[in-house]
Amino acid sequence: MIVALLAQGTPLTETGLWIANTFFYLIAFVAVGAALKMVTTSNVVHAALYLLVVLSAVAATYVILGAEFAAVTQVLVYLGAVMVLLLFGVMLTRAKIGAEDDLDHEQRWIGGLVAVGMLAVMGYSLLEAYGSTQLPADMQPQRVGPISDEIFSTYIVPFEALSVLLLAALIGAVVVARRD
Amino acid sequence: MSILASLAPAIAQTTEFVRPAIDWHAFAPELVLLAWGALVTVIDLIGGERTRRFMPSLTGIGFLLAMIPVLTLWSQNDDLPRVLFDGAYMVDHYSLVLKGIFLVSAYVIVLLSSNYMAEGDYYDAEYYQLIAASVLGMLVMTSARDLISIFIALELMSIPAYLMAAWRKSDLKSNEAGLKYMLMGVFASGILLYGMSLLYGAAADTRLVEIADAIDTGETTPIFTLGVLFTIIGFAFKVSAVPFHTWAPDTYEGAPTPLTAFLAVASKAGGFVALVSVVLFAFPHQWEIAEPVMWILSALTMTVGNLIALRQTNIVRMLAYSGIAQAGYMLAPLAVYSKVPDLAQSSIVTYLLIYAAMNLGAFAVVIIAARKTRSGDIESYGGMFRYAPGITVAMTVFLFSLTGIPPMGGWFAKFQIFNALLSAETTAATVLAIIAAVNSVIAAYYYLAIAKQMWFLPAPDGDHSPIVVPPALMAAVAITVIVTIATGSVGVGLVGDATDFVELLASP
Repeated sequence: MIVALLAQGTPLTETGLWIANTFFYLIAFVAVGAALKMVTTSNVVHAALYLLVVLSAVAATYVILGAEFAAVTQVLVYLGAVMVLLLFGVMLTRAKIGAEDDLDHEQRWIGGLVAVGMLAVMGYSLLEAYGSTQLPADMQPQRVGPISDEIFSTYIVPFEALSVLLLAALIGAVVVARRD
Repeated sequence: MSILASLAPAIAQTTEFVRPAIDWHAFAPELVLLAWGALVTVIDLIGGERTRRFMPSLTGIGFLLAMIPVLTLWSQNDDLPRVLFDGAYMVDHYSLVLKGIFLVSAYVIVLLSSNYMAEGDYYDAEYYQLIAASVLGMLVMTSARDLISIFIALELMSIPAYLMAAWRKSDLKSNEAGLKYMLMGVFASGILLYGMSLLYGAAADTRLVEIADAIDTGETTPIFTLGVLFTIIGFAFKVSAVPFHTWAPDTYEGAPTPLTAFLAVASKAGGFVALVSVVLFAFPHQWEIAEPVMWILSALTMTVGNLIALRQTNIVRMLAYSGIAQAGYMLAPLAVYSKVPDLAQSSIVTYLLIYAAMNLGAFAVVIIAARKTRSGDIESYGGMFRYAPGITVAMTVFLFSLTGIPPMGGWFAKFQIFNALLSAETTAATVLAIIAAVNSVIAAYYYLAIAKQMWFLPAPDGDHSPIVVPPALMAAVAITVIVTIATGSVGVGLVGDATDFVELLASP
């Protein structure tokens, strides 16, 4: 709905802004909750599914920000490819499916401390830099067209380099994974 | 349907695509290598077993062919620097010198690999294709002047290397090498990307020059400080600086030895190029954050690397730790880059050139010696002067150069580093120079211990049968010896007057 509003080029009304903010807080709440469950659950498959929720929430945030292309890429790459890879990894290896007692690392408290410290530093810096920044009222969604123009003009070198990278990774992965 | 209908006018607004103007000559080194690499891959696909034994020669020819446009670009001096894509890609003297270093190093690595790969029942054709891909990443890296190009060049350089580290598939140590290298590399990439995203957020541009300008106008914000720190830490993993070095010794020991040479020389140099480009071009005004970080990284890296190298009994592990220590010397000029930016840049490039020659040479000798002794123990080098005098003399040249004894190249490389540090004329820089000097003395102990083993101590099992050295390895040793001695001898003439080179590299 927000996408449709933005696509018409009309500035967001008070109501529209209120809806966008409400959706954002809802999505953020779901994302943080799922992320916490993901690291505390004792079942690897459940952890993967919680990660799915986190990644979807990030995709939804991109939509609210009008970044269509990033949202679609997030869904295709992370929700599609990476999650399937992760679940296949769990199922095809001898990892235990179901709850495990020893999934927690013995140094989890130190890890938790580091995480809280990082949260404080990052949170402070981000709030300091962007705490009072507001999205422009006449924000337009990011079209895919200009992105493709950029990829095939300004960023043509990294784009071509990426295709070589994929080919090399393919060749190497076949050699390493091959049974001989 | 209503959404689609509402999108229709927006779709109609899409602007006309303008084809970018491309300076094909400036891209020629990359394009030649790309085309040749694709050709070699197709030949391998069609030829299969019949063409397999030509693969090393073909790949080597590709690297030499790519040198031709580097030389023609260099000869058209007036057209340099060639700026492409509004400054996102730059061909200048700095990038051309580095392209030359990477291509010649890659050629020497193919020479080192050919016998090892052919005799060891590996997938050798694919190995050379991955080497070519990785070197292409290095070529792009030398010219990349924006964050996206730098990141993708870094990945193109690293990902084939992760796979090649695990190339000895039946050996658990090699599996461990590949896995450790990949996990640490991916972790580092994550940190690096986070830092880059913060930089982009602060500057709203991916080009290094624009980032420098954007921050110059405003005050340094915490967000930018974090961006600088994360970016530097990400690169510190790639160049195996202490305390981010833990992957290096295991990876170096487990990987096939020619690939270890590739990692210790070419990959590390690639990481350094990225680090130097980002620090010098994007953070010229952020030295208050970057310099102390570099100081600490440099002092820790050279000291810890040297102290652990002292205790090694395996020569590959020793070279790995000595490479870590050498990275510490190379980081040192970045601790004073705000005072002497041009000198810092040229001294690091000089060090990379000489480091590549002497370290590749040392690895060549290790590979030759392992053909006879089948061992990497330093003790197995005993008595080598009696049955392989030529190899012993060559290894002595490399060891003297690594120690920094004139007139070998390593001496001139170290001289340039000290020159940069002392020209800065600050207390911190002088202290760092003293730490580097002390470390050079420590390093002399373990380098010269190998020379002593080869010249004076008896062979461990009394076996004095000569080593058969294949022509490819002989050529690799010859090239590296010549470069090591030539750079040192030229350096003797240049002392106190290397300003031409400094100005040439720094010319915008």
